[in-house]
Amino acid sequence: MQVFLLILFGFIAGIFGGMGMGGGTVLVPLLSFLDLPQKTIQAINLIGFLPMCCVALVFHAKNKLLKPVGIGWLIVPALALAVVGALVADSASNDVLRYCFAAFLLTVGVWQLIVAIKFAIAQKKQSRFDDNDTKRQ
Amino acid sequence: MNLTAKNKCILAAFSATAGFVNGFLGGGGGVIIVALLLAVIKLHQKYAQATALLVVLPLTAVSAAVYLWKGSVDWIPTLWATLGVVVGGAAGALLLSKLKGNVAKIIFALVLIAGGVKMFF
Repeated sequence: MQVFLLILFGFIAGIFGGMGMGGGTVLVPLLSFLDLPQKTIQAINLIGFLPMCCVALVFHAKNKLLKPVGIGWLIVPALALAVVGALVADSASNDVLRYCFAAFLLTVGVWQLIVAIKFAIAQKKQSRFDDNDTKRQ
Repeated sequence: MNLTAKNKCILAAFSATAGFVNGFLGGGGGVIIVALLLAVIKLHQKYAQATALLVVLPLTAVSAAVYLWKGSVDWIPTLWATLGVVVGGAAGALLLSKLKGNVAKIIFALVLIAGGVKMFF
């Protein structure tokens, strides 16, 4: 049963990941339904992401979607602090990591919902404006 | 594109935060990187989402290496979940062209909020 759920949860998170929407942030809460320590869940998330990311990058490169402008300013500091973050995670308890992840999910979830609602409102206004424009013509 | 000193500082500070989050929480740095590419480098959404993977791949690899070094990896569940992620990833790439971007974003946001609430209790 656990094998089935691992594949199913991986599949669901992979769908979001394949759409470039952060599959990792979906996989961690799903895996928390299983009896696994938080650090093991986070390790699954990191390692599971690697092959999918490689495939996605090949796909995006073929579609000319990669624009590596100023990317060095992003990669170098991110790499340094990623190591620090992973080392701090090792010394933290599973409960602390779990609550921190929960807080992070709620923050990002509310933020993304606000962005999506603002976008939907802007689109509705634009379509009303376009309709009025067509009627005038 | 020439970046101003201020923008370079913003990129360095926030990408460092993304790196720390990704290492500490085992994911989630990509959301911050996409936001930076949109707000500072002014890429369009689909370019930002694709290009963010170029940054997230190396920082995920180094974070995974530390987790591996510290003995946090349990290979059996990792391999089964990875199988699901790879197949789901291919399905997601196909779905992307058929699903309205905002619909996917709203579903994603609601899943994150539900996940956050579930993890607290």
